[in-house]
Amino acid sequence: MYPISFFIVTTGILFFFGLVALIVKRDLVRLLIGIEILFNAANLFFVALSTQSVGLIDPLPQSIVMMALVLDGTVIAVGLALALNVFKHYKTFDIRKLRRLKW
Amino acid sequence: MVGDLISQGLQLPLPILVSLIGALVTPFIGILSDRIGIKLKDAWFVLVSAASLLSVYQLYNLVKATSEGVLLLYSWGQTPPLSGCFEVDMLGVYMAFSIAFLGLLVSIYSVSYMSHETRVTEFNTLVTFMIAGMFGIVLSGDLFTLFVFWELMGLSSYVLVSFLKQNWGPIEAGFKYLLMSATAGAFLLLSMALLYGLTGSLNFGMLAASLRGNPLTPWTVLLFSTLIVGFGVKSAIVPMHTWLPDAHPEAPSPISALLSGVVIETGLYGLTRLLFVVFEPSVFKLPIAALAVLTMTVGNLLALLQGDLKRMLAYSSIAQIGYMLIGLSAGTVFGVQGLFLHIFNHSMMKGLAFLSAGSLIHVGNTRNIDGLKGIGHAMPLTTAGLFVSFMGLGGVPTTSGFISKFMLFASAIEVGMSWLTVIGVLNSALSMAYYLRVIKTLISDPIDSMKGLSEAPILMVGVTVVMTLVVIVFGIWPEPVVGFAESAAEALVNGFNAYIGAVIG
Repeated sequence: MYPISFFIVTTGILFFFGLVALIVKRDLVRLLIGIEILFNAANLFFVALSTQSVGLIDPLPQSIVMMALVLDGTVIAVGLALALNVFKHYKTFDIRKLRRLKW
Repeated sequence: MVGDLISQGLQLPLPILVSLIGALVTPFIGILSDRIGIKLKDAWFVLVSAASLLSVYQLYNLVKATSEGVLLLYSWGQTPPLSGCFEVDMLGVYMAFSIAFLGLLVSIYSVSYMSHETRVTEFNTLVTFMIAGMFGIVLSGDLFTLFVFWELMGLSSYVLVSFLKQNWGPIEAGFKYLLMSATAGAFLLLSMALLYGLTGSLNFGMLAASLRGNPLTPWTVLLFSTLIVGFGVKSAIVPMHTWLPDAHPEAPSPISALLSGVVIETGLYGLTRLLFVVFEPSVFKLPIAALAVLTMTVGNLLALLQGDLKRMLAYSSIAQIGYMLIGLSAGTVFGVQGLFLHIFNHSMMKGLAFLSAGSLIHVGNTRNIDGLKGIGHAMPLTTAGLFVSFMGLGGVPTTSGFISKFMLFASAIEVGMSWLTVIGVLNSALSMAYYLRVIKTLISDPIDSMKGLSEAPILMVGVTVVMTLVVIVFGIWPEPVVGFAESAAEALVNGFNAYIGAVIG
């Protein structure tokens, strides 16, 4: 049984870093990396919590995390494909140029 | 049981099974149909949608036959609450019916709409996968199964929004949609981790048994906010709505109808289900009421400013989500009944609006409202459909939108929040301003580019006429769908003991 508070703090910091990356970064690929950080923070939290029941390590979160890794991998793959298409049309990876659609 | 069709170990609810297998077979049918040159793939597409609707009916009969009203299906030879499962109650069947019904109509429409596009096979496959994902969300019995199907629906819809990739608009809209929705997915995963940490399980029945009725702690407040963000982005609740007015107009029109008609409502279903599983209605009453006011006001005000027909409809969808949140905030059986009745009615009305707008744009070749001036003379049936759907969205009596809006507003008065009703009614009146402006433009004297046009292809007109009739018939004779919505709301609000008992008992 590991001390959980350390993992909670780490998760919080990672989640914060992911959100900061989404807010301040302009490069499409870096934004996708920010999403990946967010997903991994949540996954880390899951795995850390699985060690907290006394006497066993719960297999449920571990299987869920394996599946969640696959799912966020596919999302990032689709995102990279879209980023390539963005580059084809806009000749840039800069998110600030993606504002042709008016509100 | 249903899943014995495949094997003893794997049990899937039949609608999911039909649409998943249908989607997997679609590419092969597409290749075959390209080889032999007949329209086999279109027939297959419509056939799969019709089969899903039929299997929803079969599921309805199965659920009705059970004594408790809950059907538990689990896979891989394990028993819940340890493993993933599907827990089908009347609410799930109701949502699956709305999805399958709109899905069938949209598939018939898109056969004609997409006939000049290339890559029709990919389109059909993705649409069927999206519908399968929505079935999975509404029928799942634990949060992890919901998350898997959530991502299936999300992935298909990102690609479908940016389907016309030769233009810059869909690509930009699709990327924004993906960025915001994937962030929301991470929040949803975090809320799953929190729920697991609080209870040691992700099964809805177990969550309700251990969390419902407990006092608020900082962790449950954090959980509440992650749930709002996680589901709120997909269902376009206002601070998180900015992807919707880009994504819905840029998608092909059948996809706009599906996205606006059922996909955002599926997000709202997830929010409703989770909030009722984890919290008492008194906890989330005020935050949801505030979000409702914000959502409908912002949606209606911004819709007034739009010159683009589909973009205006997208903002109107945001406003309609605001009306639905009134029912959730009331939290009574009556309010939730209004919420789910409005989900079905909105799927018909907004589906009709997007499909007939799609026909107008298909023929008139512009999305600008002023550019379509006078097209109503050339396309009377489609314009009449658009007119009826606008009346329904504005809540005029004799359309189905009136019934559900009336129930939503009445439920807010019932729980003593009459200010919410006043704001809702004022918003409803405001929304007529932009609906009537469009109708007036469409039926005034035609400009030169709108002369000499003719009505859209017969299949497209046929679908819009059918949906027009549905909107009017359920406005005059609402009993069947109101009764169905009531049993769905009963299952959500009062059916907790059966829901928990099916898992633990």
